[in-house]
Amino acid sequence: MNKDKIKIFLDSDLLEKYLIGSTTDQENLQVERYIALYPEVRETYEVLQENLEAFAKMHAIKAPEGLKERILAKIRSEHIGKRRFARYAIAASVAMILFAGASYFFWSENQSLQQENQIVNNKIENLEADMREQLADVRNQFIVLQNPQTKRFNIKGNKKAKELKAVAYVNPVKKLSYINVSKLPNLPENQCFQMWAEVDGKMLNLGVIQEAANKDKLVALPYADEAVGYITIEPKGGNESPTVENIVANITY
Amino acid sequence: MSTLLEKHIVELLQERNEKAISLLYENYGDTLFGVANKVVRNEELAQDVLQESFVKIWKKSDSYDPSKAKLFTWLFRITRNTAIDKLRSANTKTDKEIQIDVSDVYTLGVDSIRPELMDVRENLDKIENKYQVVLEALFFQGMTQQEASDELDIPLGTIKSRLKIGLRELKKIYDPTTPVLCLLIALNLIQ
Repeated sequence: MNKDKIKIFLDSDLLEKYLIGSTTDQENLQVERYIALYPEVRETYEVLQENLEAFAKMHAIKAPEGLKERILAKIRSEHIGKRRFARYAIAASVAMILFAGASYFFWSENQSLQQENQIVNNKIENLEADMREQLADVRNQFIVLQNPQTKRFNIKGNKKAKELKAVAYVNPVKKLSYINVSKLPNLPENQCFQMWAEVDGKMLNLGVIQEAANKDKLVALPYADEAVGYITIEPKGGNESPTVENIVANITY
Repeated sequence: MSTLLEKHIVELLQERNEKAISLLYENYGDTLFGVANKVVRNEELAQDVLQESFVKIWKKSDSYDPSKAKLFTWLFRITRNTAIDKLRSANTKTDKEIQIDVSDVYTLGVDSIRPELMDVRENLDKIENKYQVVLEALFFQGMTQQEASDELDIPLGTIKSRLKIGLRELKKIYDPTTPVLCLLIALNLIQ
């Protein structure tokens, strides 16, 4: 069986083609397998190699003078060129990495500085706006308090909050109104006072009154002709709309 | 070429020592030049081929596997393939037909003969032309026996027998000790 296979293989000239290097990669694999597997093929290949060398030597021609030197010079230059190229390539790569690293460092540094700058600018803007607002508020308070046309209303709480005392300042000419809540009765922990104003039929939430903080402070009331202010007792944290039965004081101005 | 020298060259090649190329050239340069010339049939082109082949040999030196081929077989393959590539590009460049003309194999080059190579040339003459033709078709032109038969217009059976005889003649020349030894042994036996 194998003998037939070997005979067919040896008759195919594939070994000879392999010998002189004119086989394809696939054929190479096949031939190399036969050489590895069958001593007969291996032996034939060995003999063919010897024959080839002997036959080629018979055709030797003296190579021209200087060709050896040219070849050696060529190989040396390729060798050195390669080495030099590798050296340049390494140097260039290192430089690239350093440059990229530095670029990234400066970029991120710049980025964070820009962010910081933005934050600082925002803070300044907010402060400016706050200041302007407060200044306007203070000015209005001054106008209201100093103006002879300002009416002063003393407000007292109803029976639900007898201790409540507040003063409202209303100036119909300047259309400004303020309230100062000077005394509030104590409430259970889970309740608070909230101020409201009914302006043009709409109920506006003026916020929760914190006694300590609001004692010496004038709170602006939205102005309208025939507006009504209310103070109510609401659950802690304030309510979205006033609880009518818990009204403790109302201010008509 | 001793196996020891071969081993030494292979070691140098694997160490990427340039000395390997120098040794290769000294030992195989003329033979490979002859091989290149046999394929391209132009000494100037053959010089280019030899130079390119040595550059390839140097570059591929780490791919040489001594278990797969003898050093010379490897060198021959590179040189022959480089020569064939050169011939193809020269053909397309000049449009001139520098083909491997089978009739050329009959005119064996006698130029650039070196005295020290005279003996091998004389040896070559010892092989009858008809055997040489078949050997050349096989070794240099890479023809299959069938192709040689078609190309040379010789029956396949004749090609096969000529190849066999040619190889035997060849063996006699490069390995002359064998028949002499046989003769001596035979004589001894007779005595």
